[in-house]
Amino acid sequence: MMKLIKTKEEYLDENYLELHYDEIDDETVGVLERLRSALKYIEGTLDDKKQAVPLADMFYFETVDRKTFGYTKDTCFEVKETLQGIIDEYTDAGFVRISKSSIVNLYKIKRLQGDLNMRTLIYLKNDECLVMNRGYRADFYKALNKLQGKKR
Amino acid sequence: MKIIDRHNFISVVCISFTLIVCGKLLFEKMTGFTDRFYTENIFTCLGICVLATFILSMHYYLQRFPFIPVVIGQYVFLIGVIFVAIWFASKFTDMAPSAYKDMFISVTIPYVIGAAAYYISYFLQIKKANDILSKLD
Repeated sequence: MMKLIKTKEEYLDENYLELHYDEIDDETVGVLERLRSALKYIEGTLDDKKQAVPLADMFYFETVDRKTFGYTKDTCFEVKETLQGIIDEYTDAGFVRISKSSIVNLYKIKRLQGDLNMRTLIYLKNDECLVMNRGYRADFYKALNKLQGKKR
Repeated sequence: MKIIDRHNFISVVCISFTLIVCGKLLFEKMTGFTDRFYTENIFTCLGICVLATFILSMHYYLQRFPFIPVVIGQYVFLIGVIFVAIWFASKFTDMAPSAYKDMFISVTIPYVIGAAAYYISYFLQIKKANDILSKLD
């Protein structure tokens, strides 16, 4: 089973990951696939300035008035991709559709809560709350189970 | 829970009809009851299976609406259609005085059990998802 060793190094210019291997097995391939998507950047516009944001920092994406916005822990910026484009491109990074107008990063979810009308409330790690429609539940749980499989 | 659509509609009707008829026959065998209206009741069972499967398949298209009004609305529609069918059938054949009450019980009990199972499975699914999410950290 693959080990994860975290080492704290002071005064490092940039964090990095290093992989030690004898053979690339299925588990390693899975981790690498996920890392490739998670280490990608997405380009967005904030205050008329373009900037690249690590995909792993994205909490969720939302469409408002045909424009797509990406939300990090504390900022929001406009991205040029459509929600469908983001799903097609970045599903492996943990993004899943939760309603017609939003996509969430599974890694940024703190917990789920159901209400009496079977709407699922998604509490994120920045304490924001999103609502998942019943129609997207099956895809959501499928993605979550897939992610759990990869983690194993 | 599997979604009922046009691809599996017939098979869902067939399976539920078989289970209901087998249950009916077992119950009659155990209690020694003889059904005088055997043919009529078998076709009533088939009609209810088709109707109930149709109403449950509508659930998929009503997912954007709140669950409680949908499930109550579907129940009212189902029981309404059954009562109208009993009233219509009573014009052509004799009905037991307790026909409405019997059908009300026969439909309500399985419907409530099914809705409760669906509701409980929903909250269990959330609990399981929360366990997975806590392990992802």
